[in-house]
Amino acid sequence: MENILELRQVSKTFPKSGFALENVTFSLPYGAILGFVGENGAGKTTAIGCIMNTIIKDNGTVKLFGKEMLDTDTELREKIGVVYDGGNFPVYWNAKQLSAVMEGLYKQWDTSLFQKYLDGFHLPVKQKIKHYSRGMTMKLAVAAALAHHPQLLVLDEATSGLDPVMRDEMLDIFLGFVQEENHSVLLSSHITSDLEKIADYITFIHNGKIIMTVSKNDLVYNYAVMRCRESQFFALDPGDILAYRKRDFWIDVLVSSGKEAQRKYKGVVTDHVCVDEIMLLLVKGERV
Amino acid sequence: MKGLLRNNLYAALSNVKIFSVVMFLLGIFVVVMDNKIPSLLIGYMLLGIIGFHLNFIASLRKEGSAKWSEYKLTAPVKRSAIVQSYFLSMLLWLAVGMVFAGAGAALSIMLHGFPFDRNTDVFMLFVAGTGISLFMGAIFFPLFYLGGEEQNEVFLVISLLLSIGIIMGITAFINTLFPARISTIQIILAGITILVGALFVFIISCPLAVAIYYKKEY
Repeated sequence: MENILELRQVSKTFPKSGFALENVTFSLPYGAILGFVGENGAGKTTAIGCIMNTIIKDNGTVKLFGKEMLDTDTELREKIGVVYDGGNFPVYWNAKQLSAVMEGLYKQWDTSLFQKYLDGFHLPVKQKIKHYSRGMTMKLAVAAALAHHPQLLVLDEATSGLDPVMRDEMLDIFLGFVQEENHSVLLSSHITSDLEKIADYITFIHNGKIIMTVSKNDLVYNYAVMRCRESQFFALDPGDILAYRKRDFWIDVLVSSGKEAQRKYKGVVTDHVCVDEIMLLLVKGERV
Repeated sequence: MKGLLRNNLYAALSNVKIFSVVMFLLGIFVVVMDNKIPSLLIGYMLLGIIGFHLNFIASLRKEGSAKWSEYKLTAPVKRSAIVQSYFLSMLLWLAVGMVFAGAGAALSIMLHGFPFDRNTDVFMLFVAGTGISLFMGAIFFPLFYLGGEEQNEVFLVISLLLSIGIIMGITAFINTLFPARISTIQIILAGITILVGALFVFIISCPLAVAIYYKKEY
């Protein structure tokens, strides 16, 4: 499968804070949505910074459309739409001024498409961005990201700050976007329910390290949590345990195949697992 | 580049609108007043030439309040083009300031006569204003990219004071070189030397700022 985005062994250390992104490796195929999950400060934004060259990586390779993107590769950036968490644009602009600036930056800027999104999102054209609500600024950023016909959307917490109705609307737009087979979305978020709705793959990051990349189908149909008593836990094959977490009266154990676990360990309660629970187990739990 | 220049224009617009109104009203006052004591006209001209330029640089702080500085790097523009757009905008605002200063001086001279000792004094005022503006921009941008947008005001004050100091220093040096009454040709040559020097430093500052900006992370 061909990838629109590939990170191989990407590392970045911040000596002042001590935080480090360590050997981050994942890829995003064409036509797919990859959810990038992790708690606050896990390294999602740093990884996106390395992808977009706003942060200079120490090691590793980042390939976009099969090529390492340099500062001079403006043609590659024409094909990427970016939405950052919080204000993307100066607050003294209005949407019309934003369009005028973008028109001068992107060769493929489509003013009428931008206007269509503004109308659809009920965003006033002449109102200054500083008078927009947080949700409105996010909608404006999404409209701007889509209005130059990108192939890859990079969304850093793009749905945070939106109400559930608006979030759902946005997710539909992202799903519509990937209907074109050469389009892909990298969606970083800690709102895991969003990822469950639209992601094809989910990559978990914790403390600057990738813990796991899994397809959503695999996650929904195969991954499971076993609720074990202590004696049951000690009887488990360590190779089956991805992560475990002690609770008050039992131990939650994450396994990659619920059906196999049920067959192998009779009498142990096995539940389906959601992204939230996986994240908690991977982040707060322990490994064998 | 067009989008970047528009971005720079919008950043400065609200500041410049207010400053233009002030300059316009001040211009009326300067033109109406008798210019036997030329200090008012001198002040107006220097304020015009330096003020617009200064306003533009000061407005850059506003960009830092959003993630725009980061977002811009994801757009299809090179880092060098971003810096070049700032330098080009500075020259444009310098030209606007010179138009205001020139118009004020011309109207005042037309109405009240020539207030200076020599014809070259007007030229030297333009040289001083332009020199200060160019040195200021040349000093500011490398500092701006080294220190970050949060320290914009400090760097602006430092670069303004340094540029005034440089112009005063060069003037003092020229006066020391020619202690007797300096000829018109010598004044013009000195003025041109200052202008060329300021322009040279301004041009050199651009790739220096680009080199620093290439290492900047957001």
